[in-house]
Amino acid sequence: MQLIMFYNRCSAEFCGAFSDEKTTQDFLNIKPKTMSNISKETLVLKRMIFAAILFSSLSIFFLSCKTNSANATSDNKIDTVLTGTVTAELTEAPNVPKPLTYTSPKRVMVHLETIEKVMPISDSSEYTFWTFGGHVPGNFIRVRQGDLVDFTLTNSPDSKNSHSIDLHAVIGPGGGADATATAPGQSTHFQFRALHSGLYVYHCATGPVPLHIANGMYGLILVEPQGGLPKVDREYYLMQGDFYTTGKYDAKGLQAFDEDKALAENPDYVLFNGRVRSTTGPNALTAKVGETVRLYVGNGGPNLVSSFHPIGQIFTKVYMEGGHEINTDVQTTLIPAGGASIVEMKMQVPETINLVDHSIFRAFNKGAIAQIKVTGDENPSLYQKIKK
Amino acid sequence: MKYFLTIFFVTVFFWASDAQKKAVVLSKEMVTVPAGNYQPFFISETNKPVQVKAFRMDEHAVTNLEFLEFVKANPQWQRSKVNRLFADTNYLRQWKSDLSIGESNKKIYNSPVVNVSWFAAQAYCQWKKKKLPTIAQWEFAAKGAPKNLKSPSLTEYILSWNAKPNPPFLPNVKSTYQNAYGLYDMYGLIWEWTSDFNSFIGSQDSRGNNEVDFKNFCAGGAINVADKTDYAGFLRFSFRSSLKGNYCIRNLGFRCAIDL
Amino acid sequence: MKILIYSLFTVVLFSCSNVNTQSAFTGEVQKSNTAAVGTLSSESIYQLTDTFQTQDNKNVTLASFKGKPTVVAMIFTHCTYACPRLTADIKNIESKLKDENGKVNYVLVSFDADRDLPDTLKKYATSMGLDENWTLLHGDENVVRTLSVLLNVQFAKDAEGNFSHSNIISVLDKKGVLVFQKEGLGADAAETLNTIRQLF
Repeated sequence: MQLIMFYNRCSAEFCGAFSDEKTTQDFLNIKPKTMSNISKETLVLKRMIFAAILFSSLSIFFLSCKTNSANATSDNKIDTVLTGTVTAELTEAPNVPKPLTYTSPKRVMVHLETIEKVMPISDSSEYTFWTFGGHVPGNFIRVRQGDLVDFTLTNSPDSKNSHSIDLHAVIGPGGGADATATAPGQSTHFQFRALHSGLYVYHCATGPVPLHIANGMYGLILVEPQGGLPKVDREYYLMQGDFYTTGKYDAKGLQAFDEDKALAENPDYVLFNGRVRSTTGPNALTAKVGETVRLYVGNGGPNLVSSFHPIGQIFTKVYMEGGHEINTDVQTTLIPAGGASIVEMKMQVPETINLVDHSIFRAFNKGAIAQIKVTGDENPSLYQKIKK
Repeated sequence: MKYFLTIFFVTVFFWASDAQKKAVVLSKEMVTVPAGNYQPFFISETNKPVQVKAFRMDEHAVTNLEFLEFVKANPQWQRSKVNRLFADTNYLRQWKSDLSIGESNKKIYNSPVVNVSWFAAQAYCQWKKKKLPTIAQWEFAAKGAPKNLKSPSLTEYILSWNAKPNPPFLPNVKSTYQNAYGLYDMYGLIWEWTSDFNSFIGSQDSRGNNEVDFKNFCAGGAINVADKTDYAGFLRFSFRSSLKGNYCIRNLGFRCAIDL
Repeated sequence: MKILIYSLFTVVLFSCSNVNTQSAFTGEVQKSNTAAVGTLSSESIYQLTDTFQTQDNKNVTLASFKGKPTVVAMIFTHCTYACPRLTADIKNIESKLKDENGKVNYVLVSFDADRDLPDTLKKYATSMGLDENWTLLHGDENVVRTLSVLLNVQFAKDAEGNFSHSNIISVLDKKGVLVFQKEGLGADAAETLNTIRQLF
């Protein structure tokens, strides 16, 4: 601190001046006749010293506590005044809503519908999925820290069962579950303030909760920090889930849920986005050499933890567990059941990146693979096969 | 010849107009469910099984045809006249009009009536000098072992019904299985109203709920679920706890009972 | 001069203490209202035409409460904890509406058809210090169940004949339409009072 440095430099002459018993008033109202023993130069110097001390103290006071926003917790002061109402853009995986452009809190209208639907889970098997929006995972919701989310949940009149929602971004009873027990054909409604930024899972919380999650009722909500996230070239949405069927993997026909396998945590399918080959081959994600790609990755569970790894790539950035701590240059990152992660990669060479759960039997035999097809110019200085 | 034809057509006319009424109203049998002990889904502090006294229960759910008789005799329960306090806008929406299920809906004449509220179901049972069964009575009766079920187990059967979407037309009553008490379709057709469906004490959120929120509920004690692997039970109780009395839902009907 | 230096030093020292600017917002989850007003019927509950008996052994129907806003809750007299507290909560509301004395009905309906006969209700009213604005009602099991469904009150009878039940204070307008509900014991009465005042 400048004050201490100054004392160090302080010579006897000036220190002597500071240790005078003169009052502040006297010092400020320096009248020439009381300073007859001190030269004019000393006087000017004293004034400069005083100004310097004042200036440095004030600057320390105001500037000392500015912290690095990248590593801040989100206890930043949130403005509670809403500056308007918007309707959230909801997207279906693997797409992500565009980055938000507003910079003050809004009332954000979100409306999700729960739908029970028979869909293929693999080439030969069908399964009765319970969904948010008619697909697994549910729609991606994107809001900003400080927003007041006005949430309506509708249960399709064709549903057999009641449904509800728990969003991990909510601080409140059940994450919203307490307010949203919704019978078929009905709607429920609640509001919450997005107090903390981060990437959060949401899922159905109607009893028996494990069954509702096992049938595909999960999705992600991103609460952007107030300053937004750094810009990247592409953003995608993946969500891992484990599925338990009475028949084996890819058995023919409509499969029922198998409670014994689920209790034993022994799934037949471990999938990204609710279907074998949902995001491979013609459905693969795309990117170009030179781009930075960000993946919002959730794990709905219900049981398994994911060891998420990009074959042929490295995660240059991992927002660990979807929070604010950033790890860099990571090969494989853990995504807990009921958790999420944000990962980034820099596309350097053309290739097909296989994104897997590196508990590798899951990738090989149960469907846990997604792909990014990277196109562009080769770069032999970075990678080249050498023929014999 | 003319005379004969006139009589013929007149007869046909009356026969046709009677067709809806006469269209096989299945005779309403009731069975006796003997007394027994029922282990409630929720364990209370005392954790005692509930004694269920012997009672009579309709062998199958109330059908559309049966309910039609009711609304004919009780005009305040007709679709265009019913009070919104007692039935929401989905009341009997599957019917053609107030007093007609509809020729095109012949398939559902003998299917369970759905889109009826708790108040309507109560009123029907009272009109028949019966009442809705309590949860204890219904659950106890539903535990009767299946007599002619194709599925490997009742639990699997229930879970697979839960997993299937609602069919476009509900099958007839008595088209699924019969249980040891002689009751048909306790599972596999519809959810059914009970007289005390609103006796679920606890938060709607069914997870960490071992402790009842004392601020809201009185004498609830600590509530726990007897068998946490009874997923079918969870689904039933969750469904019940999301209901309000005037809800009309397309897979929710009822049957009546008589206390002995 | 010294004082200035020392005070500036102190100021600097404290400038970096815990910058814990608490957000004014408490972040509570709000249901759109405690009992989803959006789905509350616009119909009067007084359309329930069944008869109840009061603590003074009179036969009444709910329609007799028309003309004044009504605060209603469901209790039973053998209840040792929650019901006295709920009654006290309503008495508190009554005391805050002293200026409008006589303009509001206070109604307690008992779950306990077997035990809470008019005499018992009278004793309860006396012991709880409930004045002439209060009506305590006894009804048949069926009627009480129907009313509980209309008021979104959950309750169950246990093996000992006591009741587990939710604690809800409901406000009906002059016509008997349910307009507001507040759940919980010792709950903040501000919104309830506000609603009642708007019904005069």
